[in-house]
Amino acid sequence: MKTIIYTCPYVPAEWIAAHGLHAGRVLLDSVDPGFSAARAEGVCPYVRSFIGEVINNRGADGAVVTTVCDQMRRAFDIIVRNCDLPAFLMNVPSTWQTLAAQKLYVDELKRLGGFLIGLGGKAPSKDTLAETMLAYDDARTSIRSAREHLSAKQFAEAIAAGGSLKGEAFGDGSSDSGHPQAALQAATLRVPLAIVGGPLMKPDFDLLDMIEHLGGRVVLDATETGERGMCPKFDRRRLREDPLLELADAYFAGIPDASRRPNSELYRWLKRELAGRAVRGIIFRRYVWCDLWHAELGRLKEWCNLPVLDIDSAGDNETDRPRISNRIRAFMEMLQ
Amino acid sequence: MTDAPERITLEEWDVQYEKLRRAGMRQPQYGGPLSRHVEDGDHRLRKLRYDNSAAALRLWNFLLTEEDRLREARSAGKKIVGTMKDLGTVPVMAYCFDNVAAFYPDGAWWIPCVMELSDGLLEVADSLGIDESFCPVRAMLGAFVTGAHFPIPDMLICSVGATCDDLSAIAQRLNGLGHPIFWWEMPHRRCPEQDEPAVILPGGIAAPKCQVEFVKSELERVKAALEELAGERLDEEKLSAGISQANRVRQYLAELRYLAFTAEPCPIPALEMLIAEMLAIHFCSDRRETIAVLGELLEEVRGRVNAGLGVLDADAARIFWVNPVADLQVMNLLEDCGGRVCGTEYLFTHALDMIPQDVPPLEALARCALADPMAGSSIDRAERICADVRRFGAEAVLISRIPGASHCALEGQVISEIVAETLDVPVLEIEVPPVTDSMSPTLRTRIEALVETVRARRRATQGIRSDR
Repeated sequence: MKTIIYTCPYVPAEWIAAHGLHAGRVLLDSVDPGFSAARAEGVCPYVRSFIGEVINNRGADGAVVTTVCDQMRRAFDIIVRNCDLPAFLMNVPSTWQTLAAQKLYVDELKRLGGFLIGLGGKAPSKDTLAETMLAYDDARTSIRSAREHLSAKQFAEAIAAGGSLKGEAFGDGSSDSGHPQAALQAATLRVPLAIVGGPLMKPDFDLLDMIEHLGGRVVLDATETGERGMCPKFDRRRLREDPLLELADAYFAGIPDASRRPNSELYRWLKRELAGRAVRGIIFRRYVWCDLWHAELGRLKEWCNLPVLDIDSAGDNETDRPRISNRIRAFMEMLQ
Repeated sequence: MTDAPERITLEEWDVQYEKLRRAGMRQPQYGGPLSRHVEDGDHRLRKLRYDNSAAALRLWNFLLTEEDRLREARSAGKKIVGTMKDLGTVPVMAYCFDNVAAFYPDGAWWIPCVMELSDGLLEVADSLGIDESFCPVRAMLGAFVTGAHFPIPDMLICSVGATCDDLSAIAQRLNGLGHPIFWWEMPHRRCPEQDEPAVILPGGIAAPKCQVEFVKSELERVKAALEELAGERLDEEKLSAGISQANRVRQYLAELRYLAFTAEPCPIPALEMLIAEMLAIHFCSDRRETIAVLGELLEEVRGRVNAGLGVLDADAARIFWVNPVADLQVMNLLEDCGGRVCGTEYLFTHALDMIPQDVPPLEALARCALADPMAGSSIDRAERICADVRRFGAEAVLISRIPGASHCALEGQVISEIVAETLDVPVLEIEVPPVTDSMSPTLRTRIEALVETVRARRRATQGIRSDR
């Protein structure tokens, strides 16, 4: 089966899978594995990593990039000039409150469908799409219900794997792979925290363990690669009536992000989730040169009554790790 | 034509001003000696070199009195509209209303330069979490907070989508501080697919018809919002008349640019040309006066060209300039180093290309908006740059990187590569912060190296010719 790689949460895995292709949401590994930008300064580490991943990926048959951030949009130009992998730039509107913006998103999904067919995919029937969506919906439900039985890192890994699921259920979370009961009880004694920000890279998942080790417990992963980037549950009735519209509605309207204009839904979602999980502090994780998230830091601090710790990363894990560890340790001391 | 053309200092302008005044120079209401603006805090003016014509004086005074004009407009009961990011489209519409004045709050990015950081705007932005990792447009945030530089608009309109993240993020921060914003979507301009109906945009790029229609529908929303604010309906006739006026501005600029970039010797300095080009974006808050100011400048330049006079040496290296500079002094620096500007791409070519007048007016504006170089790919932008380099006969390309700007880091690389592949001309990339004093020697060295390279290539070409 051909594999289509992407990272953006606004690319529905179901849509790719329904075309008979493998949706490979990439969990980026490290910065700059192969892309030798002469001027790396000013380029977000995540974007650098993505460019390297696409250019060096030997297993992918196509890549989908989105316009959600300006640097990713520019990354597409670098990719098409530097590698032969077929690539598609999907226009995800920043505005979301108008019918025109919603229709544009649907039209872009259809255009993406054309790209997938060009790579050997098959236009899905209504029933095929609906069945695929149901399978993914079930998988996400399984992942969500497993959250309380998993460490934050395990949960993040489960979400990351979810995008590549091809439909199989994750399990109910009560399996041996989760935290042992004693560990879970100990976890409830730790300080409940939220991690908020853009996407994490694979090495960043260690940050979640680090937080637990230092006395915290991430009860809300509001990063792009975490719960915040998961499409909400489908409306099953609408799914049967018009699966493509339901797919578009769930993804386009259901994933809150800093990039939306206005991005009030992000704060509405955070308000609900932070209160619902009794969060006592926020770790704000951002990449250097990521304007969209960086600009939210000040607003978030003014908006919420919780302490916020800013953790920026230039993508150099060796340098970042001790600095981040010290900062989180101090944050935890303040909260405990 | 007023005098033998030359570049003069601010002190020399005081003398020149008296001379022109005694000679009977007619001045508009906002006229006066340039040096008076220094007393208002525009300290950078002391370090710039200016064209010595009465037309240039009028241009500078027009630019430096915009805040007064906006306040007068408010006092006169006009509605003030802050248009952000689209650079040249919404103001065409806004100036069709009798009681609306529009301006770009983004233009505040020059305030730290003009006031040599004495304004404190960047510090205010810092305090709101918008630090130097953002582009200098962050000064806009400070200007809103202090309220000291322009009246707080009655309405803010901002294009988002295929724009830079800096402005989008800063505008959202502004929104979070309690300034309501009317957002409209600018899609990423793409190539039409096979068999997809397409439209040729101003500037010559093709775009899918459906994208033009989408932008048109967004501009319909903007129009409705403006109509509500103004309490006045904007019909096709009025909008067409507004487009005609905007095209007069663009027509003057087209001729000015052609003469400034091709005539030997260079008839007008790069700094005045930068300011003249900027007027196309929002008419510096007075469309009628913009036409008059540019008309006078064009007359001056035509006179100089006809007389074979100019402000720079005839052998100045012909440089194509990419991106606007945050520090105006760098335009002087290029000329001090032996260069001249022969072509520009300041990120608003869509505000310079003529607006089509053979299609319904709103569609014409949609086509212009979609032609925005920032809305499309860096590859499109590079190709337009290559075409203009050829058109104006530039011998090198200088990419002026905007510090912190989300588009510059990757885009500069694409443009450099494509220019190098397509044209046999050297490319230099520099970064220009709002005040360059501390790095002036480095910038000078780099620009001098580019100028020397151009001259060496000329010598080599001449050597080959003489060998033949």
